[in-house]
Amino acid sequence: MSVPSEAILNAIDELRETFPEAGISYVSDGQGGVWVTIDQVPMGPAFVTPTSWMAFQITHPYPEADVYPHFVRPDLQRVDGNAHREGFALTSYGPQNTQAMQLSRRSNYLDPSVDTAASKALKVLRWLEER
Amino acid sequence: MSGPWSEVMTGEQWDDLRVHLFPGDRDEHGAVLRCGIARSPRGNRLLVRDVVLAENGVDYVAGDRGYRKLTASFVADNIDVCADEDLAYLAVHNHGGHANVGFSTTDMASHERGYPALLDINDGVPVGALVFTTGAVAGDIWLGGGERAEITHLRVAGRPQMTLTPNPLTAAIADPGYDRQTRIFGDRGQAVLAGSKVAVVGLGGAGSLISEYLARLGVGELILIDPDRIDPTNLPRVVGARRSDAMTWLRDPRRPALLRAIGDRIAAFKVRIAARVAREASPTVRITAVPRSVLDSDVAAMLTDCDHIFLAADSALVRRLVNSITHQYLVPHTQVGSKVSVKNGEVTDIFSVSRMSSPGSGCLQCNGLIPAWKLTEEATSPEQRRRQRYVEDDAVHAPSVITLNAVAASRAVDDWLMAVGGLVEDDVTRDRWAMYCPLVDELVEVEPTQKPGCLQCGPSRFARGDGATLPVLLQPAGATVR
Repeated sequence: MSVPSEAILNAIDELRETFPEAGISYVSDGQGGVWVTIDQVPMGPAFVTPTSWMAFQITHPYPEADVYPHFVRPDLQRVDGNAHREGFALTSYGPQNTQAMQLSRRSNYLDPSVDTAASKALKVLRWLEER
Repeated sequence: MSGPWSEVMTGEQWDDLRVHLFPGDRDEHGAVLRCGIARSPRGNRLLVRDVVLAENGVDYVAGDRGYRKLTASFVADNIDVCADEDLAYLAVHNHGGHANVGFSTTDMASHERGYPALLDINDGVPVGALVFTTGAVAGDIWLGGGERAEITHLRVAGRPQMTLTPNPLTAAIADPGYDRQTRIFGDRGQAVLAGSKVAVVGLGGAGSLISEYLARLGVGELILIDPDRIDPTNLPRVVGARRSDAMTWLRDPRRPALLRAIGDRIAAFKVRIAARVAREASPTVRITAVPRSVLDSDVAAMLTDCDHIFLAADSALVRRLVNSITHQYLVPHTQVGSKVSVKNGEVTDIFSVSRMSSPGSGCLQCNGLIPAWKLTEEATSPEQRRRQRYVEDDAVHAPSVITLNAVAASRAVDDWLMAVGGLVEDDVTRDRWAMYCPLVDELVEVEPTQKPGCLQCGPSRFARGDGATLPVLLQPAGATVR
């Protein structure tokens, strides 16, 4: 089992500060990174289910590596009944091969000195809220 | 700490120090160098992290026993920083003259009075002094335990490369076989090539050419790194590759799957082919062929004492590693590649590129050449990438042709040769990033930018040597070792 880098452990601390009401857990990805789960985040008004867990991998090159994609509950449905648009895909992730809805939000101009796993999670949640 | 000691600095640092020491007043001036340390079987290198110029009359004043001295407060400020950051401390001053230099008896007496205490404050991390003339340098390094060492040379790394020694070195007459090229850069240039240790990371289309060029030039030592075996589709581009290397008769699509699988497993490693070509090109070259990932920590360590690294592998993780080594260990590199973009069956863009980067300036990370998304994908397991549908079809190869690789490889080696052979002007740019775009008849030169606080070229890594961790894989990649 590989030990996460100091940068990744700092990222987890920042996630705990950013989501103080939520439980943050993580497991090693076996390559120096971790799979993180935030146990409850808001999904936004466009979705039937108001909350979900959110999971993502922080890979070993973090913070130079982007944190994406993110995963939420697989039964995510829109209030208006329409199909999900671009950026959503049903798949599975992680060591338990957990069923999930994949949210693909890649950062093309990432600045490792300011863009963190926490800021990325907030960006994805804001994007969900605007759907 | 056995082995020889040497000093390495960047061209920009050398410019600052040279102008400060030799402003044309024929007087004596002082400075302090704060240095990271790199140790390897090839020797110990002091890597200049900070050049702190002593202001005349403020930090560098009339001496009690000698002509001039650094003030106690200037020394104290710098040794405190060194002690905090595990850096070596070197006091610098200059003498008159040009090609020869050595410490005076007054200099040595002052070292013996002061350096035991400084060594103690610095917790055993080396302290010492350098003395310069305009064309020479000598060093007295205190290593602890009563050991002292002189420095063999100072290397100004990058473009142009320069080496200073205490006294002029006599170059041996080069092998007559090199007569045509020694008419360009002389026996001294040939001796520089023979004394060079150069790595090639990636021995595919571009890297195989680079390796052959280096061997034919007379480079003394080659480190060849690539975990891949030759594929039949590589044969039109990898120099020296034979059909038997690729096991084409076993891997023919008409053969049963079992035979093809055997062919895949016993095809030659690309590094073995490159080593064979290099040995045919040069009877004296020393070659280390490593059929493993450079991301394995012990393989990455082989790069840290090279004189130059040619990076011809298309991987963001490998770019990140080599770029980090350049700035952490002050080893210049050249990134080489070519790309053909095809959209809807139409060729939309073609370029080949050669980016020679000096430590402290040309940074692949600062210039967006190590995409964050690609690092993420390469650090994600193949199984998870399949789930995320980011895996490209292995059967679909990227377009490529030997001529494009040859343009980039030739340019890369030529730029390096001109820099180490002492042929380029002193005021050339530190980095040489050139892109050839044959579809539009353009040769584009790019001046790289730098971002403060960069994790690869910035303060957290720059000239730290063994004092920082390289971005290698925590666990071996598991490639076969032969």
